[in-house]
Amino acid sequence: MSVRVGEKAPEFTLDGVVKGDFKTVSLKDYRGKWLVLFFYPLDFTFV
Amino acid sequence: MAVSTDSKFSHKAWLQTPRKKGGIEGCQYPLLADFTKKTSADYGVLQESSGVAVRGLFLIEPEGIVEAIQINNLPIGRNVDEAVRLLDAFQENKKHGVVCPIGWAKGKEAINPATAAAWFEKHAK
Repeated sequence: MSVRVGEKAPEFTLDGVVKGDFKTVSLKDYRGKWLVLFFYPLDFTFV
Repeated sequence: MAVSTDSKFSHKAWLQTPRKKGGIEGCQYPLLADFTKKTSADYGVLQESSGVAVRGLFLIEPEGIVEAIQINNLPIGRNVDEAVRLLDAFQENKKHGVVCPIGWAKGKEAINPATAAAWFEKHAK
């Protein structure tokens, strides 16, 4: 596994949708906050 | 926030679809498009054969350190209550220096490592 507990989370900057608008979001934007980051296979499936 | 290898356009369409139709209309958290699949690969959740991300969850603390990881294969969803329990527990640890044993949940007494013997005296069955 490429990510381990106790180590830095890999940085990313991705396009996405935030509250209805297209936005670019980086992990860095969440410095100072707790974050639950989760992956799922496909839109229009369950999470 | 949520990440899949779909495009942002697909995300937007899904966000505009009512829940009864399998959509997630009204969802407030960010949906990100890992269209190049790099982020999914970096986090170790990319299924190479299909090009999609399996169901990985990462709890990241304010300095950017990973505190917890759960990865499910495709067919089975996660449990939001467990994600919240982990968040509560790691926040409790960071705030008060206590550790949280098996089954700990918000409102239960955590263990102060300096006085652990007293905790066992009180709680062990």
